[in-house]
Order: sequence, then structure tokens, then C-alpha cells
Amino acid sequence: MTERQKRRRLGPALIIALMSLLPAVSTISCSDSPTEATGTTEASAASEDQIFKADISKEGPPGDLKWLTNNSDPLYASPEAKKGGTFKVAIKSFPLTFRTVGPDSNTTFRSAILGNQLSLIGLHPNTMNILPELATHWAYGKDKKTMYFKLNPLARWSDGKPVTAHDFAYTLEFMRSKKIVAPWYNDYYTKEIDKVIVYDDHTLAVASTKAQPDLHLITGIGPIPRHFFGQLGEDFVRKYNWKVVPNTGPYQISDFKKGKYVKFKRKRDWWARDLHYFKNRFNVNNVIYTVVRDDNLEWEYFKKNRADVFGMTLPKYWHVKSNTPIIKNGYVNRIWFYNDTRRSPFGLWLNQDKEIFKDINVRYAFAHAMNIQRVIEKVLRNDYFRLEHGFVGYGPYSNNTIKARRFDLAKVDHYMKKAGWKRGDDGIWDKNGRRFSVEVLYGSDHHTPKLVVLKEEAKKAGVELRLQKLDPSTWYKKISESNQEAVWMGFSTGLRPSYWQSWHSDNAHKPRTNNVTNTDDPELDSLIEAYRNSLEAQERIELSQKIQKIIHDIGAFVPTSTAPYVRQAYWRWWRLPEIPGTKESTSLFSPFSAGTGGLFWYDQQLHEETKRMMKKKKKLPPVTIIDETYKMKQ
Amino acid sequence: MKLNPLTIKKLRRFKSIKRGYYSFILILIMILASFFAEVLVNKRAMLVHYNGNYYFPTYGDMIPGTVFGLDYRYETNYRLLAKQFETEGNGNWVVMPLIPYDAYENDLKEGQFPPFPPSIEEKHYFGTDTIGRDIAARLVYGFRIAIFFSLLLLGFNYAVGVSIGCAMGFWGGKFDLIFQRIIEIWSNIPFLYVIIIISSIVVPNFFMLIVIMAFFGWIGITWTMRTITYKEKAREYALAAKALGATDFRIIFKHIIPNTIAIIVTFAPFAVSGGIVALTSLDYLGFGLPPPTPSWGELLQQGWANLDAWWIGGSVILAMIITLTAVTFIGEAIREAFDPKMHTTYE
Repeated sequence: MTERQKRRRLGPALIIALMSLLPAVSTISCSDSPTEATGTTEASAASEDQIFKADISKEGPPGDLKWLTNNSDPLYASPEAKKGGTFKVAIKSFPLTFRTVGPDSNTTFRSAILGNQLSLIGLHPNTMNILPELATHWAYGKDKKTMYFKLNPLARWSDGKPVTAHDFAYTLEFMRSKKIVAPWYNDYYTKEIDKVIVYDDHTLAVASTKAQPDLHLITGIGPIPRHFFGQLGEDFVRKYNWKVVPNTGPYQISDFKKGKYVKFKRKRDWWARDLHYFKNRFNVNNVIYTVVRDDNLEWEYFKKNRADVFGMTLPKYWHVKSNTPIIKNGYVNRIWFYNDTRRSPFGLWLNQDKEIFKDINVRYAFAHAMNIQRVIEKVLRNDYFRLEHGFVGYGPYSNNTIKARRFDLAKVDHYMKKAGWKRGDDGIWDKNGRRFSVEVLYGSDHHTPKLVVLKEEAKKAGVELRLQKLDPSTWYKKISESNQEAVWMGFSTGLRPSYWQSWHSDNAHKPRTNNVTNTDDPELDSLIEAYRNSLEAQERIELSQKIQKIIHDIGAFVPTSTAPYVRQAYWRWWRLPEIPGTKESTSLFSPFSAGTGGLFWYDQQLHEETKRMMKKKKKLPPVTIIDETYKMKQ
Repeated sequence: MKLNPLTIKKLRRFKSIKRGYYSFILILIMILASFFAEVLVNKRAMLVHYNGNYYFPTYGDMIPGTVFGLDYRYETNYRLLAKQFETEGNGNWVVMPLIPYDAYENDLKEGQFPPFPPSIEEKHYFGTDTIGRDIAARLVYGFRIAIFFSLLLLGFNYAVGVSIGCAMGFWGGKFDLIFQRIIEIWSNIPFLYVIIIISSIVVPNFFMLIVIMAFFGWIGITWTMRTITYKEKAREYALAAKALGATDFRIIFKHIIPNTIAIIVTFAPFAVSGGIVALTSLDYLGFGLPPPTPSWGELLQQGWANLDAWWIGGSVILAMIITLTAVTFIGEAIREAFDPKMHTTYE
């Protein structure tokens, strides 16, 4: 499900992978999966003397550490949940490898493997507080660079070996190795993480290279099974393509057929099943990912119950295709769940290096000429919301007093006249023979309907849009050469707003940076630098708010729309907790993921009842759940 | 103009093949009508009578709403203006085109979402597409682009292909040998892939697409031309011209080509329908002209993705069937009319 969701919402949205460092907690826990059922064990066991072992620190951890843990945050799983059932999900393509690092590993399927790989600590999806995962306790060092952890002595790899502090030291060894052919990870684990100190089998410290405001986001790394990999060889990439690596999470791959399916099996004796935050979660016995290459085909599969859940965020499915017997007869329920998470800054990015957008009045006029509201009403069926600025959903870090510039012909007139432009004979603004005609680049057919409506509406305001659809690689090239006038795109998000890459002059007027607007503003620069260097949350929040205001005043980004929810259809014997998801949920049926996954369960009684009803062709009342628990206030 | 009696005979023969002849008239009317599509299919009115003045908005600059006493400065919405004049009854009136929509505007309604089914009352004779654009309008403008595209492409292809083919046949020898090899290599380049690759690097406009397609399209005719030229070159009239001291250039263009015209013309209609199909398929795949250019391929794509909106796929398929069948009928008729067996006796 995660896959599908991602594709639906992010894929078409042309998200440039920013690789922002902040979400690293989830990205990093890169390891592997199990061995038992696949018969790959022979190759897996490294011989005793090859197993990595870190030096044990002679000094113990500082004596004055304040050890913290967290067992008091609200639970979000349902106490009614029962174990059992087989959950079938469709994926678009078979993964090119089961490795989670190295060539071809960055596929959507990786999240299913990483979802079964715990880290030292996690984040509560609703409160954002630290939760124990492999560590039971943690403590901050005085230097604001080091964090100390006590491991849960129960923690086991899926092959039964205990998880020890050496496995975390091995993570660094592994991730820094050239043999894994993963330069990004090489770089990250060198530049961000300084060292892992092992005090004994269950006590360790992770040190960042520099003092960090949200240290736990950097230091909460995951372990890598040193006994499995042993000494890395030149053949790493090929050797581990289809190896199921031992993991620490609730499921392990038990069977797969290349090109067809991957089956995950729940570990009956999972070491963490009774941990406070994992109780009543990860209930399904088996999860089967089947390859279905086409959206329309997947919909047919779902209708035949060859998949248990189907993503319906697109208005076409929710409003039109839903009009089908299985839903009308109540065999399939639909849910519309509002989440409250960081929104991709999606919209039009204006290049200030181009003559036309050097004038701030023209930028403002352009923003006021974009009739986003009409697109939302007429193309997106009022299901989407206006994105007010580029940093929505970051909690206190978001400045929610900012409102996007609305379609307003009078304001367009005002700003254009101020900038000295006149309306030409064809109704388009004109200054010394230069027309207000802007080339807008975009990358997917999916967006054409929205842009076509914008184009027609902009004409009324005297602005001409020239739409240029490019295929992703050309598009990327053109943007990275900073050769565009305006581009229609979004960026991925991190846990905290990150301003430097998109708005600091360090990245302006240069190819291949994320400053696509070429913003170069000394005042903004100094605020961004202060924000980056500050270690005080409160100060960072205040700076963040100021920065967002300035970015809004620059007017080089015209935010468009966002869908702050997930919509899914599911066969009615799948049950969800009373509050069906968390603030962070991008799918209610994601089977893995320590933070938000595994909340649903299988109800055998309902399944049998539904089967009987379907056989007798009896109708049930159709169910559509709309959950607004976490709906953001507009 | 005095026509060669042979030509007259051919024309008469063509005319007598009813199927092809009427198809020819149909296509001719369609092409001519598409020249003036702005008058027939447009959101701008043909004629507005307002306070004693006459306006012809079809061609020329945009007329803002203020000119007609409306409260906005962007382009007048003539459909609403017509209704307003009617209710006011001040003697002002508007003459709208047959299909009062253009190919780009989104006719969106309150509380309903496109695609809208065909409606005579709203003058969406073929309904609207998924973003509320009139399908009939897009078909007409799409036809204009497709037919001119394939005619121009034909021109380019034949200009290059016929010259090279003739030259090969006429000079023969090493020139022929070398060019044959070049063409063999050339024709092994998978042309569709190349177009897809090129158009993913640069977004092609109308003329660029023609040039790209002509780059590969000229090959077909060269083989035929080469063979006929070999044959014609050996005939007495060519030898006579040579004996009179005519240059090669003159012999090829004044004597040989006019005598092979029958072959060239016979192939032409099929090349035209090939061109239409090529453009449509490229648009269908998303590698053709950039949106929102009206295009049959794009409509076909929409029709496939929205099978329940039958009018989208239905109307474009109907339009394609009519056009391609008509062009093919013309082709057949020409071939038959130009068939030498009808007016030559063999012993």
C-alpha cells in the first residue's frame, strides 16, 4: 500500500529527491531481511573469524547521564485487534533487487524491507516524541553531539542471533564501505555521523560530527547484521541482490517469485511483540505483494478481491469509478482519512534570473493571475485545498498567518501598471515589445488538465502561459541548468523545514542546486544561517517563521494545491482502529513501518458473513467513513 | 489551360470512379473548410451588432468586454453576450459560429464535472473532453493540423526522395551503389524510437516534427523512383533530349519526372494517410505536439482512459475512419485512373 500511495501522490508530482538529511531516521535503518525460508542460509553465515567486532571503549559512558525513556505517550493501536489473515497488495513493478543500498535499490519496494528494520529509537507519529525501538533508554551528551543508548537485551535478529552494540558499529563500517557502491550513504555516514562507541554488548553511543538541534534525528541509526555480511567483498552488489537479510522487525520475506510476487510472513515469536508501542499491531499473518503493472488492471484485480485495498485519492476513482456494485452493495468500504503531515511545496517556481521575473511587481502580478481556486473547484472537484505557502504541516515551524496570493484581476492590473507594463492589442501585458508570456515546464500528463485551465484563466489577467511538457530526465536537465522561466513541481519534505538548499544564495545562479528560483537575498541568507546554526528549538521556530514570511514576500513561489488526506477502498472484513490512522499516515493499510504501520486487522467473522451475502447476492448498506480527527484547520 | 489529352482521359477516368471522386470532393471540402475554421468553429462571434456599430471579432485583436458595455477587461464572452442582448432586446445582436467554442477553452459548469456528454442544446455536438473542451472544435482544429502536417510532410519527403531516387537511377554506377548502401543503413534505424528519443530531449513544434519525420520518411519513394528512372532513361525521348544537348538536370526534371508522375501521384494519398496516422500515434503516445494543441491522438488517449465517456473515443474514431477511408478511396481511384493498362495496348 505504501508503494501505491507514494506513486499516486508523489510519483506524478515529480518530486526531486532532495535527500534532505532530516528524514534520515527512517531512511537510514537500512538493512536487511531474513534467511530462514529461502534457503539462502549457506551463503549468509560468515565464518566466526570474519565477524566484525568493534573495540570496546576503555572508559564507560559519563556517569552523570540522564537516561530517558518513554512509556507514557498515547497508544494508537486498537485493543480489539486480532492476529490472522492474509493481506494482498498490488505493486507496479517487481523490485530490481532486495538490497537496500547500492545500484537499483532506491525503489518503492525498499520501504517494505526497511519497514521491517527497526532503529534505535523511533518517533511517535502524533506527538513526535521519541519512542523506544531497539533501545530502551537514551541520553543526551553534554556536547550536544553525542547520544547514548541502552539496547533492549531481548532484541533478536530474525535468525535468532542477539542484536548487540557491535551491530551498530558495523553499520558505520558497512555504510562507509566503497564496496556497497552507494556514494550517498558513504557520504552521509562520513559527514554526518562521526563514530559509534561500544561500551558493552548493550550500551553504546552515537556521535554526530557537529552539534545538532534535533540530534536524535541523526543519531537514531539502525543496526546491520554483521554476522550475516562478514567481510564485504567486491561482489557485494551481485551477491546480495536476492538475499533475504536478517531483520529485527515484525515480518520477514518468506517466499518470492521474480517478476510475480513477494510474500512476507509474520514472525510468531517476534521479540518486540509485547513492547508497549507494538502491542496490537502487525496483526496480519501474511502479506503478499503481487505485481500488477497497470492502474486500470489493478482496479479490476481489486474488484475481484485479488487485492484487499485500493488507493482512491484521485477524484476519478473516488467519485466516478466508485460507482460499482461491490461498493454500492456494501462489500467494499471506503475511507477518507485526513492526515496532518508535512506538505510537499508544490506549485510554480519562478526563476528570478530571467529578465521578466527580476521585477517583484511582475512576480506578484503573476501570482495573482493564477486561478488556482478554479482548478481546485473544476478539475480537482473541490477535494484539494489551497496550499498557502511552501512549509505547511511542520507544526510550530510553520507560519500559518501566511496566505497565498489569490486570483485577483484588479491586483494584477495594479502591479503591472506599477511595473510600467501596458495591455497589448491581444490583451496580453506588454512592455517595450516584450509580452508577458511565460514558459511553464512540467513533467507529467497527469498535470495537463490543471495547467490548461490555469492557462485559459491567466489570459483574462493578460498573462500567457506556454506549457511545455518534458520527460523527466530532460526536464531535470533543463532545471538543473537554471534555464527555465517557470516550473511546475514539488519537492520532498523533511521532518523540519530546510531552507538552505532552496532559498540560500549559496545555491543561487548555479547549475544543479535546489534553488530553482535563484533567490539571492542577503537578509534571508543571514536568517537561514542563523536557523542552521541555532541549537535552541524555540529560537529556530521563531527564525523559521520569519524566514517563511520573507520567502512569501519575495513571491517567487506560487503554491498550488494539496490533498491533506488519504482515500482508500478496502474489503469490509479489514478493520481499523477507532481513529483509523495517525497524523503521519499516508496509507491506513501499510502493513509494516514501526511508526505508522500495521494498525489494521483481519476479521474472520465479517469475512465469512460477507462471502455468504455475496453468494446470495444480498445487499449491505454501503459504508463511507470520513475521519477528520487530524484535519488541519484552514 | 490546355491539358494533355492523356491527362484529360485520366481525369475523366478518375471522375468515373464514383467512390474515389466523392471522397476527393469530401476531403477537399474538409480541407477548405478547415482553412476558415475560425469562422465556423470559434468562441468569438462572427458578427456583433452593438449600438449601431458592427464588429467582426473573428480575425484581429481581442475585443475586451468593456467595448460592449460589460464590466471586465478581458476577452468578451460572446455566448453570454448573445444571451444578454437577447434578454435586453435593445436591437443588439450577435451571430455565433456553428460551433460556438474554440479548441482551448474549458466550458465548466457548476456542480458537474467533465466530460459532458453530447448536447445539441448546449451546442456541444460531440460532447466535451475530460477538461470541458468541446470535442467537435478539437476535432476540426486537430484535423487542420493533421492534414497540413501530412501534406507538408509529403512535400518534404517527395522533394528529397524523388530527387535522390531519380539521381540514383539516372547516373547509376558508383553514385547509385553508394546511395543504395546509405539508404539501406538509414532505413534500418528504428525511426519511431528515434523520434521518441528526439522529442523527449526537445519538445517539438509543428515544423520540427515535420523535419524529424521527413528525415526518415524520404526513403520509401527513392527505390521506386530509382527503378523507374532506370527504365525511363533508356527510352528514346530521354536519348533524344540527350542528343539535343540537354543537361542532366533538365532531362531529369523536364522529361523523366513528368513521365513518372503517374507513379508519384499514385503513392501520394497513401502517404497522406500514413502521415495522419503517424502524427496521431505520436500524440497518442505523448511524443507529438505539446499540449494543449488540439490533436486526435490526445483525444484518442483520453478516450481510452475514459471508456465510460464513449463520446470521446467514439467521435475521434469516427473522424479517423471517415478521413482515412476517404483518403484511401482517393488513392485507389487515382491508381486505377493512372493505370496504363486502360489506355495502352500491348501486343
